[in-house]
Amino acid sequence: MLKLLVQLSLRNLTRHKRRNLMLFAAIAVAVGGVTAMNTLIRGFQADMLDSAVSNLTGHIKIYAPGYRDDPNIQRGFELAENFQPDVAAEDLLGWAPRIRVPAVIMSERETRGIQLVGVDPAAEVISFLSTVEITGENLTDSNDGRVLIGRELARQLETKVGRRLVIITQGADGLNREKGFRIAGTFDSEGTSLEKIFVFTGLTRLQSMLDSHSVTEVSIRLRSEPKTISVKEVLIDFFVGLEVRDWQELEPQAAAMYIFADGAIFIWFALMMSALTFGLINTLIAAVMERVKEFGMLRAIGMRKSVIIAQVVIESTIIMTIGVAVGLVMGYLVFLFFADGIDLSAFAEGVEGFGMRTKLVPVMLVSDLVLVATLSLALGVLASVYPAWRAVKITPLEALRR
Amino acid sequence: MSETVVSCTGVTRTYQEDTVPVYALRGVDFSVQQGEFVSLSGPSGSGKSTLLNVIGGLDRPDQGTVIVDGVDLSELSESELADMRLHKIGFVFQAYNLIPVLSALENVEFIMQLQGVGSVERRQKAQNILESLGIGELGNRRPGELSGGQQQRVAVARSIVTGPVLLLADEPSANLDSVTTRELLDLLRDLNEKRGMTIITATHDPMVMSYATRQVRLRDGAIEQDETPVTV
Repeated sequence: MLKLLVQLSLRNLTRHKRRNLMLFAAIAVAVGGVTAMNTLIRGFQADMLDSAVSNLTGHIKIYAPGYRDDPNIQRGFELAENFQPDVAAEDLLGWAPRIRVPAVIMSERETRGIQLVGVDPAAEVISFLSTVEITGENLTDSNDGRVLIGRELARQLETKVGRRLVIITQGADGLNREKGFRIAGTFDSEGTSLEKIFVFTGLTRLQSMLDSHSVTEVSIRLRSEPKTISVKEVLIDFFVGLEVRDWQELEPQAAAMYIFADGAIFIWFALMMSALTFGLINTLIAAVMERVKEFGMLRAIGMRKSVIIAQVVIESTIIMTIGVAVGLVMGYLVFLFFADGIDLSAFAEGVEGFGMRTKLVPVMLVSDLVLVATLSLALGVLASVYPAWRAVKITPLEALRR
Repeated sequence: MSETVVSCTGVTRTYQEDTVPVYALRGVDFSVQQGEFVSLSGPSGSGKSTLLNVIGGLDRPDQGTVIVDGVDLSELSESELADMRLHKIGFVFQAYNLIPVLSALENVEFIMQLQGVGSVERRQKAQNILESLGIGELGNRRPGELSGGQQQRVAVARSIVTGPVLLLADEPSANLDSVTTRELLDLLRDLNEKRGMTIITATHDPMVMSYATRQVRLRDGAIEQDETPVTV
């Protein structure tokens, strides 16, 4: 019976070519639009996550208790020699120990408040330091006693690569330390917020300056975000007495936007598909009512109501399937067209406020394609039930008289 | 003694037109024996189509019983009635009512597909019936490519291919010219005489009546005259 209905439905599709083509086009455009938009939203989401975790946060961070309220070296903690986080190698992208303390930086002309960060440059593959453009030189290793400052800060301090700066910060004994540093290089990140606030130097040299063997944080970057919760649980057990925080706790605004992006996909889908569903129902009703006499005849010769309903639903499903398939291909082509990214530099200030970069690279997830295809088909089937019910509500006798 | 195929007892059917009841059938008692060719005639509103529809299970009487091939239709659910029509009753409609997207052969096969007949058997049966009705060469044409007479022949082929116990034809000649009508009636008479097919037709057309072996005339929802002509 199913074969018969499919055969009949396929033939019926050729009956009103123009109307069905319009219907295919409407479904394809809606599904293609949703798919393309999803890739942009996913791109926005991935960019926001990457910005948040690259911004020295990582997926998980370990602090000494109280450091976040009063960030200084006295609230640091010591790492065991040859420390290695107890995280499976396939999950771990990298980890970096750091000292991060507030400081004042002075050039010959200007003074600014900054975050002084002691790093091991080799370990900073996990942060934005590995991707920024550097004028001059990068720090060589943990013993490098020079500083790397942001290009914007250099402009504000009216200084440049090779000149000296003086930095004042609090040592482990609570007394101020003051030291001169030569500028190894300036970094150019997207936007100026990171350039204004962070000044980097070698971790070991900073420990010497502060008379401490401690670090104030260990940042851990994973290969995939969904592993964050399980790895965090392992680390909580390992770092007894320390605070273990994930990126959503450390960057709540980015986390909220991340969750919103998930919701936005559904909202966008619901809006587009609701409009399409009303159009689909309307068209199907018109198509079904045109064929009421035919349905009456089919019932008169012995076709059951349920089979008539099944036929209308199958016809609608075939239309939806073709439309959805074409729509997914269209969405994929749009994705390919923008695969290198969309330049948002004209709106740089605005997008920076959202924690985004100035180039939006779309991301296509197979799970999103499956979701859109499944929900669209389900909607198509549901949308056809009412017209089908209308078709069989009329008795065969009434239908034949029309 | 021949078998009774249709038996109507006290069949009443009333329609409501606005607030006025219209009596389409008023306690009709009527039976048809196997192998009869019956014409139901009468002026518009006499109840002939209503009687045909009630016998065919397309309409239900308000009162009375309709028994077709030993089955009381009032006891059947809507699905059971559909099955009854599918397996035991053939319909020929005034407007042919073929499925426009199927070829003539597929239209004839269609009803057997609903019955679940295998593809080889139904194709063979459909081809045979079209050939026996003289339209074997038109099997691949769609209804839109056939004349009215040819379409009505396909409709007849569809209605008899499964070997129903009863063939109902509602104004079968209404859309045909006199030559095609005669060809159709020759065909129906052939089915009746050679295959013993029981046929009931509702008609205005004197030519159709003249082919019937029994003429039943209705007026105002009741049987006015029921006779078997001496010569046909």
